[in-house]
Amino acid sequence: MNFVALKMLVGDRAKYLGIVMGITFASLLITQQAAIFVGLMGRTYGSISDLGLPDIWVMDPKVQFIDDIKPLQDTQLLRVRGVKGVDWAVPLYKGLLKARLEDGTFQTCNVIGLDDATLIGGPPLMIKGKLEDLRRADSVIVDDVGAAGKLAHPSATGKPRPLVPGDTLELNDHRAMVVGICKVSRTFQSQPTVYTTYERATLFAPRERKLLSFVLVKAKPGQDLAVLRHRIEATTGLSAYTQQGFINKTWWYFFDNTGIPINFAISVALGFVVGTAIAGQTFYSFTLENLRQFGALKAMGTPTGTLLRMILLQAVLVGAIGYGLGVGLACLSGWAARNTELSFVLPWQLMLASALAIVVICILSSLLSIWKVIHLEPAIVFKQ
Amino acid sequence: MTLETAHLPADQIAVRCRGVTKSYGQGSSQVTALRGIDLDVRRGELLMLVGPSGCGKTTLISVIAGILDQNRGECTVFGHDFKAMRQNDRTKYRGQMIGFVFQSFNLLPTLTAAENVSVPLLINGMPRRQALAKAKKELAGVGLGERANSLPAELSGGQQQRVAIARALVHDPKLIVCDEPTSALDHATGQKIMEILRGVGVASDRALVIVTHDNRIFQFADRIVKMDDGQVVGTLDSPDELRAQADAVRTGAAERTTEESVS
Repeated sequence: MNFVALKMLVGDRAKYLGIVMGITFASLLITQQAAIFVGLMGRTYGSISDLGLPDIWVMDPKVQFIDDIKPLQDTQLLRVRGVKGVDWAVPLYKGLLKARLEDGTFQTCNVIGLDDATLIGGPPLMIKGKLEDLRRADSVIVDDVGAAGKLAHPSATGKPRPLVPGDTLELNDHRAMVVGICKVSRTFQSQPTVYTTYERATLFAPRERKLLSFVLVKAKPGQDLAVLRHRIEATTGLSAYTQQGFINKTWWYFFDNTGIPINFAISVALGFVVGTAIAGQTFYSFTLENLRQFGALKAMGTPTGTLLRMILLQAVLVGAIGYGLGVGLACLSGWAARNTELSFVLPWQLMLASALAIVVICILSSLLSIWKVIHLEPAIVFKQ
Repeated sequence: MTLETAHLPADQIAVRCRGVTKSYGQGSSQVTALRGIDLDVRRGELLMLVGPSGCGKTTLISVIAGILDQNRGECTVFGHDFKAMRQNDRTKYRGQMIGFVFQSFNLLPTLTAAENVSVPLLINGMPRRQALAKAKKELAGVGLGERANSLPAELSGGQQQRVAIARALVHDPKLIVCDEPTSALDHATGQKIMEILRGVGVASDRALVIVTHDNRIFQFADRIVKMDDGQVVGTLDSPDELRAQADAVRTGAAERTTEESVS
């Protein structure tokens, strides 16, 4: 009887397309908005996940997220290095500094100062130049998006020219020479990222008593990270997080303290409700129109269970097609916006969640129809 | 009333109803559709149920076909009492033993003629390919072998009813229940449909029960049962007798109408 169910469904083109479109719309809206949300939230911790080498981040206990810098005294670095189980510990500067562009305008940059000796904490991918070039005088490495966008040089043609190695910047009244272009994860604030050495970064930065933002720690082989983390905290009085722990802390800060989740949740909920309404209404009207046929099938000996399976099969089919189209369109929109500021990340977990949402929509949509068919009196077929 | 078939052994009886009563609604709004119906349908018989609108014909075939429960009395089909069966058994029995022909055909509009005819076979678990092949043979039997792949909308009313007849017969049911099978058709097509029903539907181990208003098809009946006000009011073995009665009533009504208009 599956064949009969499918032919009943696809035979009524208008209704069939109506239901599929409703579910496609819901799937698209749910998936796309959720993917943008995931992408946007991912940007909040891009600066952390870009640093793959350190196991533990040490910081002031009052720090709430990656951009909430509460500087430490330089001596804290030595205290951390002295903790048992620490293989090495290096300083990291992170701060917002103003860059003066050639046309006289200013642009705030996210400046990251790496340990002078090891350059640990550098960008994950170099596009032009080498990380070691940071050892040259006044050198900086700029991320490709910033170099081609907010930090680009004005040109005579009017179209800004991307920064290339050899160009210079003025960072907080200090000359800085671009020696490389790198690729980094986009940050939440979308400011250009500028890498330099720790010492040079502290020179670029306004004079303050404390300038050390974080201490990056590598544990000795075999060292339990949780134990080491607690040991660092107990010894120094600072906070220590594993990389994932710091990512979670940052993620939850933005989740709890910004309007991002509620705004996206409204969009996702809207997609869910509108999708359910369109699909449900059309599906119910489809069942109503076929009620006489269902009655005839019931009279001819089709068990109610088979009729319910037929309805569920119809719902599963339109659900699968609508889901596929919706996710496909969402992916297409993400791909089309891949070189823009739009954040779009679609992990498999999100696709699964979206599929579950569509399953719920299909169940809700078919419930009314199922109820109607269960209570359908087959004697209806003898009425005119 | 004593039934002339009461003496027949059970193995010659297809349908046996005794004291069947059916009411709709409750309290002051209760309507009694059947008032103690006693009726036998023999195997190999084409029986017509006739009577005015609202006399309970459709309710009676609904009870006989097991899609409606009577309030009182007993109704057995080939010895099986639907009311005593569990719902699943009843549905299965109905699917195997009963074929339906409806007034408005009730064909699935998105299925071809052959697919429509194959539905009872699919319900009974036959594989689709096999069911389609058998359905096409059955369609050929009602003269529609060439239209097996046509959708119902592409067929005339008479052709659609022939498809419905093929659907009612394809799984070789023992009882065929027809509700006004010719009322939506013109006279010639109605005659053709009845010839087909009579030709391919009647068999020694099968019974046909046809509800109709159409006195032009009475000659196809083996026996005609008259109903009125939820009761069996007469049984006629001669269709001519019933047609004569119907004509007399119609003529009388016409004369009364003429007299009233003259006065």
